[in-house]
Amino acid sequence: MSTDADDRLSLIFSALADPTRRAILARLTEGEATVGELAQPFDISLPAISRHLKVLERAGLISRGRSAQWRTSTLEAAPLKEATDWMERYRVFWDANLDRLDAHLKKVMSDRAASAPRGSDPEPGMNDTTPDRTTRNTNRKSTRKGKSHG
Amino acid sequence: MAETATRDLVIERVFDAPRELVYRAFIDPDQISQWFGPVGWSVPRDTVEIDARVGGDQKFTMVNDDDPSQASPVNAKFVEVIENELLVGAETWHDPELGEVEMTGRFEFHDEGDGRTRLVITQGPYGEETVEMAREGWESSFTKLDTLLAG
Repeated sequence: MSTDADDRLSLIFSALADPTRRAILARLTEGEATVGELAQPFDISLPAISRHLKVLERAGLISRGRSAQWRTSTLEAAPLKEATDWMERYRVFWDANLDRLDAHLKKVMSDRAASAPRGSDPEPGMNDTTPDRTTRNTNRKSTRKGKSHG
Repeated sequence: MAETATRDLVIERVFDAPRELVYRAFIDPDQISQWFGPVGWSVPRDTVEIDARVGGDQKFTMVNDDDPSQASPVNAKFVEVIENELLVGAETWHDPELGEVEMTGRFEFHDEGDGRTRLVITQGPYGEETVEMAREGWESSFTKLDTLLAG
């Protein structure tokens, strides 16, 4: 079910989830650096930095030189673009979702206006709204309360 | 570059409805099944379990209208609830690389006066860390949304 692109994005976002790795990336925006240079601002060991670099490299966010001794890391921009593209789609998702919420609320409002005032009803407008799109309302359990005090 | 990629995700919208109603649209199972999900997706009523109090469930499944085998579950717990004002849901799972990962969705309901409500959605209160969580948590949704948008 998951595509190569999904897997790559998962790697990118996993890599970006760590503050140390983001700091490493921020440092690399200024130019390539060795493990020692990258480790300097952090209170962590070189092997730990190397592990972070491995994660970043696996995500394609950096590339590393071949020379074992003076191995430098370089920022790769394209995967970051992918990540921001993904976030943009998240925004598109919510925009579409909130369009539907807007339409739904308008319906709830007009249904409320049409019916008698029911200010004390704990669930106003709940049962008298017509679904604006057919959902499978078969198993209408009412054991869960929609509302409770936290 | 890195700053751009890890920027916090905030989405805002003003609704012409009092915030009690907007809030309720997020916690009433009947209403969630009526509006939630992009066009082409449904939330079957019997998948919705909402218990709007701290520790309560926030569960539902988006199902593709054309291909019901494509389903996208949300399975979170409420970690903060202030009636009519705030809902924070968190989804926790174990990632082999990262250990315990938590995705947080924060929904603020602000009274704008004149019966209007400003909804502010933040993908987690902890800044850029939540980007990854957003990614993981919504991954299946967006795989399908991709298909949808491409079509």
